[in-house]
Formats: sequence, C-alpha cells, structure tokens
Amino acid sequence: MHLLAYIGRRLLFVIPQLLGILFVSFMLVKLIPGDPAVMMLGPFATEDGLAKLRAELGLDRSILEQFGIYVMRVLEGDLGTSWQTTMPVTSDLAQRFPATLELVTLSLALALLIGIPLGVAGAKNNSGILRKIADYYGLMAGSLPDFWFALVLIFVFYTMLGVAPAPLGRLDFVIIPPDPVTGSLLIDSIIAGNWAALRNAAGHLVLPVLTLGIINAGPILKMTQSTTERMLQSDFSRYAEMCGLPRHVVVRNALRNALPSIVTIVSVLYGFLIGGAVLVEIVFSWGGAGQYAVQGVLNSDLNPVLGFVLYSAILSLVIYLIVDLLYFIIDPRTR
Amino acid sequence: MSLLSVEDLVQTFPVAGSRALVRAVNGVSFTLARGETLALVGESGSGKTTIGRCLLGLITPSGGRIVFNGMEMGGKRSVRSPEIRGKLQLVFQEPSESLDPRMRLHEIIEEPLRALGLDRLERERLVKEAARRVGLPEWLLTSYPAEISMGLQQRVGIARAIVSKPEIIVLDEPTSALDPTARAEIIDLLIRLQRELGTAYLFISHDLSAVRQLSHRLAVLYLGMIVEQGESAALFSQPGHPYTVGLLSSVLLPNPKIKRLTQLKLAGEIPSPIDLPKACFLAGRCPLAEERCRAVMPPVETVAPGHIVRCYRTDEVMRMEQAVDYFGQFQAESDRILGAGVPRDMR
Amino acid sequence: MSGSPNMSAGTEGSAAKGDPLLQIIGLTVEFPQFGAASRPALNNVDFSIARGEVVGLVGESGSGKTTLARSIMQLVPEPGYISGGRVLFEGRDLGTLGPSELRQLRGREISMIISNPRGELDPLQTVGNQIGNVLRAHTPLDGAGIRARALELLRQVSIPAPERRINAYPHELSGGMAQRVVMAIALACSPKLVVSDDATSGLDVTVQAQVLELMRDLVTGFGTSLLFVTRDIGITAHYCDRVAVIYAGEIVEEGPRDAFFENPRHPYSILLLSAFAQNERLRRYWLGDTTAGASRAREQGCPFANRCVRVQDRCRVENPERREFGRGHFAKCHYPVER
Repeated sequence: MHLLAYIGRRLLFVIPQLLGILFVSFMLVKLIPGDPAVMMLGPFATEDGLAKLRAELGLDRSILEQFGIYVMRVLEGDLGTSWQTTMPVTSDLAQRFPATLELVTLSLALALLIGIPLGVAGAKNNSGILRKIADYYGLMAGSLPDFWFALVLIFVFYTMLGVAPAPLGRLDFVIIPPDPVTGSLLIDSIIAGNWAALRNAAGHLVLPVLTLGIINAGPILKMTQSTTERMLQSDFSRYAEMCGLPRHVVVRNALRNALPSIVTIVSVLYGFLIGGAVLVEIVFSWGGAGQYAVQGVLNSDLNPVLGFVLYSAILSLVIYLIVDLLYFIIDPRTR
Repeated sequence: MSLLSVEDLVQTFPVAGSRALVRAVNGVSFTLARGETLALVGESGSGKTTIGRCLLGLITPSGGRIVFNGMEMGGKRSVRSPEIRGKLQLVFQEPSESLDPRMRLHEIIEEPLRALGLDRLERERLVKEAARRVGLPEWLLTSYPAEISMGLQQRVGIARAIVSKPEIIVLDEPTSALDPTARAEIIDLLIRLQRELGTAYLFISHDLSAVRQLSHRLAVLYLGMIVEQGESAALFSQPGHPYTVGLLSSVLLPNPKIKRLTQLKLAGEIPSPIDLPKACFLAGRCPLAEERCRAVMPPVETVAPGHIVRCYRTDEVMRMEQAVDYFGQFQAESDRILGAGVPRDMR
Repeated sequence: MSGSPNMSAGTEGSAAKGDPLLQIIGLTVEFPQFGAASRPALNNVDFSIARGEVVGLVGESGSGKTTLARSIMQLVPEPGYISGGRVLFEGRDLGTLGPSELRQLRGREISMIISNPRGELDPLQTVGNQIGNVLRAHTPLDGAGIRARALELLRQVSIPAPERRINAYPHELSGGMAQRVVMAIALACSPKLVVSDDATSGLDVTVQAQVLELMRDLVTGFGTSLLFVTRDIGITAHYCDRVAVIYAGEIVEEGPRDAFFENPRHPYSILLLSAFAQNERLRRYWLGDTTAGASRAREQGCPFANRCVRVQDRCRVENPERREFGRGHFAKCHYPVER
C-alpha cells in the first residue's frame, strides 16, 4: 500500500534529521558564553578543581569530539545529567515533558473549540455581529501577551474571587499524586482511581489552559475564517448554492475543504507551544519542559537543553507524520 | 527543399512516481514549405502543442529528426542558437499570460531583437514597423498589457513574433481564448501578414473553421500520430479517416441549414496517452472498427497525391461520406446573408 | 402547490398558450461604480422562455450573458444587485421569494450547468455523494433510493460503468465525464428549466458534440426548457429553437432560429455572424475599423453606436425601442438591415 511505503520512507529520514537538529543546537548552546565548571563549583573554586571538573565533563576536548561523545551516549539512551537538579535528564524530562504536553494539548483543544466555530461563523456572514466578534477576537488574541493575560486571570480568579487554586504547580501539596504511568496527571489519576487528585489537577489546569487556549484560538480562527471564506466563494460552493443545497451543507463542505489549512496551523502551533508556552509555565510554576530548558540555557546546563531539543524534534516529526495522515484521510487527491 | 522537415518525431515524458511513460508524440512526419501554412489539428492530448515545443527546441525529442533550413534541431541547437535566433517564432494561446505585465508594449515587441546585436535606432525602426503591420497605433505602444483588450494583446504577441522577420511562426492556438470578433480580426491579420511577408505558419488549433480559412495543408493528429494529412480543401470536403469525419461533423457553423451529417459517430473520449491501444488508436471509439483494427496498426496509405490516411477502411469512409464542401456552402450562404445592407460597391 | 416537490416536470405543460415558463420583464442589474455614471450590467431586459423550448443566448465576454443567467436564479454575482424589473417563473415573482423559498426552487425547478466542470464539483466528495446532496435537499428519497436514483441518472447521461463511477472523486474524471456528472446533478430533480452557462466551452470538439446532443435529447425527452448561454453562435444555430443576442447588457435581437439566421436585423448580430465568414471584404465592412480597440458602450443612445457601421446621429442620443419585424422576431435598432 502507498501509505505504508510512504510512512516507511518518512521514518528513514528521521534519523539524519534528528542528527542535524542535535548538531545545530549543540553548536548554538556552546556559543552561549559561560563555563559550566565555574557555575557548578561556585566563586571559591580552585584552578585545579576547575581543570579536573572540565576534564571529567569532557570540556577540554574539541567541540566535535564532545558532540561525538554526546551522540554515542544518546544512542545508549543516556541524555546525561543536569547539574542543577543533579538528576538524569531522562528522568527529569519524563516528568516535565508530559506536564507540558498535557497543558499544550488541552489548550489547543480549547483553542480549536473556540477558533473553528467562530471562524466558520465569521466566514458565513461577512457583515453580521458574529463576524465583528470574530474580527475583534482575532485582533485581541494577536496583540495580548499570554503571560500578561495569565496574570490577569490569576488576579481575577485567584486573588479577587478565590475560585481558582494558587498558581503554584500542577497539584496542591496536600494531595497525594497518582503513580506516574503516562505522566499526564489527569490520565494517571483516572488509572489509579484517585478522584481527589483528578479534581485537583483539573482545577490547576483551568487557568493555564484558558490562557493558552484563548490566545492561540486567534490564529486558528483567522485561518478557519479566511480559508472557509475562500472555499465558500469557490466554484463548487457557488454551484452548490445554485443547486439549492441547504446553507449548512454548503458551509460544511466548505469547511471540509478548509480543513487541511487548519490542520497545518494547528500542527505548527503545537510544535511551537512545546517551547513557546514557557512564560505561562513560569507564571504558573508549572515545572514544564520549556521552563526546564530555559533554566538550562541560563545556567550553561547543556544536557537539559539538548534533551529538550531532542524530545521536541521527535515530537514535531511525529506531529508532521500525523498531519500527513490527516491530509491523506481528508483529501482523496493525495491518495 | 522544404523549409522545415520533421521525420518520425517521438516524444515521451516520464510519469512522476512510476515507470510508465506518457507517449505524447508517436512518430510524426511532415514538411513545411516557404510561405505555406500547415495546420496541426487535434484535441487536447493529441500532442500538437508538444510538437510545437520540439520544433522550437524547447524540449529535446526522444526520437526522430527536425531539420530547419538544412540544420538539425535538438541537442545543443534550439531557437536560442545564433544561427537560428529570430528565424523561428511563437505566438501563444493566452496573450495575457505570455506578455510580461511589467513591460511596456514596445519593450515586449522589442524583446526578440535584443539578442540579434542591432543598434537602438534599428531596433526602434523594426518595432515601429511590426506595430504598424499588425495595426497597433504608435501612441498605444507605451501602454502596459493590462491596459488593452485581449484582441490587442494578441496583436502585440504577433508583432513580437514578426519583428525579427522569422521564416516560420508557430501559432499555438492563437485564437482560442478570444471572442468571435477579435478572433476574426486575428485570422484576417495572419492571412494578410503571410501575404505581405511570406512567412510560413505552423498553425496549431482545434478551431476548424479558422483552420479552413488559414491553412493550405492540414495534418490531423490523434494521440500523437498523424491519422490523415492533405490539402485543406480536399480534406475538408472528402475526409478519409473516421476521426477526421468526427472532427468535421462536430464543427458547428453558424447556419442551421449547414452541418455535416454522418453515420460515423465517435463514441467515448480520447484514451490516456499512458496506456495506448495496441493497434489503431481510434479502434475503441470507431464505429467501423473490425478485427484487424484492434490487432495491427494500419499503415499509411496515399489515397490521392499529397493526401495520406492511416486507416484500413478509408474506402468505406469515403463511400459513406459524400464529397460535400460544407464550408464552401456556408461561405456562399453567408455571403448572401451578410451582403444584405452592404453598399453594392463594397461587396 | 408551487412549493411542493414536482418530480414529473412538464405535467403542467397543458398551461395556456402565452403563459411562458419564464418571463423576464424590464430586468436591470447594476454594479456599484465609482465616479462617472455608467451603463448597468443588464439594462431593461425583456426575455421569455416557453415550456419545452430550447433558447440560445449569445454574447461576447462582458456582454452580461452570465449576469442574466444568474439573475434568473436570483444569484447576481457580488457586488451587483437587481435594481429594477421582475423575473417571473410560472407566474411567481422570484424577487419576492425569501432565501429558503429560493433554495427550494434552485436545483429542483431551475438548475444550472456552468463551465469548468471539475471546478464545479467538490473535490473531497464522491460523485454519488454530490448527486445525493441534491436529492436529499429536494426529494423525500432516503439512502437506498438516493443511490438507485443516482445510478439511474449516471446511466441517463451515458456514463460507462456507473456502479464504479458513483464512487469516483472528481479528479478521477475527464472533463467530459465531469460535465456529464454535472448534468446528472442538474437533471436529478427533473427541473422545468435548465440553464447552461457556457457549459461546453472547455470541452474538446468531439466531446462537446456528444454532450450537446445528450443535453438536447435529455431535455426534450423530459419536456424541460433549456437556456444555452454561450459565446459560440454556432451552438445556437444547431441546438436551439430561438436565439437572442446580447450586447452590453441589452438584448439587441431575438427571434426564431431560422428567421434569425436567414435574416438577421441588428448590425451587431451580423457582425457576430461575419466573424465566421471568409469573404474578407464583407467581414471588414461589418467589423468596421476596430484597430484602436473596441470602444466602450456610450452612456446614452444605442449601446452599439460606437462600433456600428450603420450609425447615424440619432443612434448616439436615443436608445432604440424593441420592435417586432416578423412573428417573434425582435430587434432594437433605428436602422435595421432590410433584405
């Protein structure tokens, strides 16, 4: 079958792609000024101690050699340790990456729920009140910084109304977390039957998901509106109009034709938000992957950064594969 | 010696993502003499545009020879080569797409002269002369293509083609995008230019009434093969190939009394040029097809001097189709109808 | 009565004479223009189609023929709007109908076939689905019934192997096949009027001939009326009962086919016909001197005055009235051609 052959071919390209991405990020991080040995040993370190640590870390070798060593270890499944957390990067990311994924996935689901109906409504009547709402929404969401919006939400719902939990992580300290299986607190709580944790984790998700969902609905709305509008003006929609098809059928078919563009923008947003949600993660002390990587960059802690890049790259490649599959399902011309 | 001769031209294109080939041109031979018009007639997929491109050397043929003025085309030699530059020109189907929208009309017409090493004054003189010949007023030449009608755009395309005084102009459906009145003007213009300049035309078209007006000889293409070739007038009144009959009877002349009636009705549509029929390409659509038509490709036969047909059953076709000059009848009728109201001295 | 589904078109064909199926009275369509006033896209058009009649409407691009075709369905291309006149279909003024009543009418009683058949079909839906959409919208048929009817329609428009083609997507069809599918959609609900808007212009000549013949046979077989909107006057000569010529938004001549082609009255009709003539002297006479570019229609007077070889002073100031020259043969010209 065409599809399987296609997937196979795609997967073949994944390894060189990953190597390339790793190499570029390795070099970029190395370009950042700052000596990890100095950072680790603090201001009272001796020259001797520094030299010893550098040798231990392999920092005295050439940059290409260092990269080679890193790649060899990655192949063995070892992403190194973070000197900040003193934990292996794999176990850090096992905790933090799902936290970010859970946040971003739910946020995009919300963004889709807002963006698509509003976009379609805007495309349907290009003068009505819904169109105005859609236009203003697009403008607002495009111009509001997400971290500021997060702060406003915290101020209103936590400080003033007191209905939201404190913006301090994914779970209250008093709640016993479920055993990690997938890393997603919601799913793990359900697996464990831990309803208290489920309720609490869901509560903590509300504000950050609202923040990212409402902001990122903007581009989805814009894309849905403009593409659906174009499809509604295309020959086949006009012809459907001439055939007297009910308006909702015409709009539904136009939306279906607009889906590939929407899928594309969602996939781009998804890949972007894995790292791009970092400001919101900081505001909510989320302990997500983006936050982890940024701290790594700031403290010349190379391994977390590279680990994050590797995970995100793999995720992006998976997302693009899924996107291709979706195109395949939506559009018979690609089959 | 003929100006241009094409011998057994073959052109195939690979199909993306498979080992199959699109067989666009399958062994086409013809000649073109000085000052003559040969029409290549066929529907989409007949390979007529591909032949035009091969002639200009824009693509290298997969097989066969094209000899222009004693020089073989293809390989390194194309319209861009110094010895051919300016001698072969092309007029496109869509004038709006073939004219650079950012250039003024006189710059567009001048384009072919740039490579010829003429000085500015000479170029200016030639541009003005070409514009005058196609009936473009001088004041219009500083306009941009978007500012003029389609008919005028096509005149610009023709001016660009004649400015370098070519020996052959390939006309790739020059009238099919135009409204009827603009079309008529372009046909008149082309006939007049040939009379004045003696240029040979290779007229690629599916507009048979334009073909009848313009061309001296006619080659009917079907799936990249010439199925019939001959003098225009003879072929129009007495076609020998079922496909030619089908084409001619599809022509809708604007007179309800004049139409080629025939029992030879073609069924279906042109098959894909990827899976060509084994023997006669028309066998699947032809009402006269019999066993041998599906088994072995019919040979080329000469039915009259200069008139060749590739069909086993030409005799039957000619017996079934009375020799009637429908176009001539139509012209006589239209002279009568259009003559009303015209002052006697102008008829 | 008027809104009920009518699967057997033509049963009302016993209607009294002089009661045309479609009657357009003084229809004017305008497009908002900046600056100087210009002529409307359609100017005071009177036009009618009888039951079972095949009418040709000929005009060049920009003549308003497509606007007229779409105005019949009350679908004037934006930003144009109907600024005057009425469209009566079986005596009903379509301008007074609401959106849902119009939707009931479109595709069921009046259907349309436009050119570029592959663009008209939704690329993501199968042929069967698209025929089904129309049947679902306008008939009480359900799943199995829809499929049976769709197959029947595909067979009627001579599509080979309909059982296979019903599951095909538009990109898998040739231009001629796609045009046949569009015809199947147009005929799905046995409409009383089919409008073909240059439907065959993109097809190869032998395929065009097949499609035109099919269209005429199907339509006359069901007693449906057919309006051929085209720029090819040859089509009207061979497939229509009556011919109307439109120029700059006005129907300048209209008549029974044979009368029109034997004795065209309006200089523009003759110009159109002369485009196919080989006699260059005659052609040059009727074409006039157009090397300076086709002049736009004037704001007042006859719309053709600027291009007409027979123009007189009167033509430039006074737009001629519609006059009858023979039975059903009308022209709008101060100085029509006499034989």
